[in-house]
Amino acid sequence: MHELSIASAVVDSVLEYLDAHEVKKVMTVRLAVGELSHVEAEQLRFCYMAITQETAMENSTLEIESVPAIVECPRCSYRGRPKYWADAISAAPIPTLECPTCGGAVEPVEGNDCAIKTVRFVA
Amino acid sequence: MIQTIEASPDEIYDIELEHSLLEANAKLAKENRSLLDLHGISAIDVMGAIGSGKTTLIGQLVGRLKDRLGVAVLNGDATTSTDADLIAGQNVPVVQIATVNGCHLDANLVGKALRKIDLSNLKLILIENIGNLICPAEFPLGSKARVVVVSVTEGQYMVRKHPHMFLGADLVVVNKVDLAAAMEVSVEELAADVHKLKPGLKVIPTSCKTGVGLDELTAALVAR
Repeated sequence: MHELSIASAVVDSVLEYLDAHEVKKVMTVRLAVGELSHVEAEQLRFCYMAITQETAMENSTLEIESVPAIVECPRCSYRGRPKYWADAISAAPIPTLECPTCGGAVEPVEGNDCAIKTVRFVA
Repeated sequence: MIQTIEASPDEIYDIELEHSLLEANAKLAKENRSLLDLHGISAIDVMGAIGSGKTTLIGQLVGRLKDRLGVAVLNGDATTSTDADLIAGQNVPVVQIATVNGCHLDANLVGKALRKIDLSNLKLILIENIGNLICPAEFPLGSKARVVVVSVTEGQYMVRKHPHMFLGADLVVVNKVDLAAAMEVSVEELAADVHKLKPGLKVIPTSCKTGVGLDELTAALVAR
């Protein structure tokens, strides 16, 4: 349940901003969650709902936008979407760090982070 | 950077925060790394499921290394100090990091633990993360390498079930290989799964019972 750590970081960051400004109520917080980050959206929503109670963020909506992974290959200079492992036993194809063109190891360059994009509030 | 847009008076405002949620931990991890570099210490983050054999492996590594170089252990455990006690029996500095209900170590806790030990004579710090094959992946600690321990007793599909953990690993240990036949688990297939996720990632099969692979693992970690 590291989603609780992430949700706490969201709430701390937003409340810190609110303290410095005259904000009455937060309506929406929009997050950008990278495909390669390990954040489960439903658990994050649940944690967010639980810990925003009795704050200016209570009943606000958490919108989660997914950021696709982009990888780069140091060997063949491929840049683009990762190769997926389709026939693993998971519910969805697994992004891998195998270069789709040369089979070497790629480096992730996008889709690793988890960030607050925007906050909508009433002042 | 904070920009205010769509500002109609006493109404609804949108602000762009562009604030990374992983940055606070990443920043502390960098501070830990600077402190370790300053003392010429390599820290190794040892991650793996509960019961994968992290503590026993660390105990074996400490036994092989303590007369050659200064080694210390940071022992993450949710509640007990049993693992830390076991390592402390070898007379090396040990700090137990009790996360209480936390499912992973973070850079802040590791930073606090580093301030508890005398770093001046150390060369290697082994950090035992909380037994968990999901959550620790998101929280770098400032280590030089991240080692994932998976054991054959966890079954054939442990790698593909927890792909994220392996994408961020620098070294994978397949432990308890002495039990592979009894478990009907193929060590080669586990290694093949690792390489499907990350080509070229070093995989070392080990057994703390027979001692196989332990010298190779010791050498691989010292080389870091």
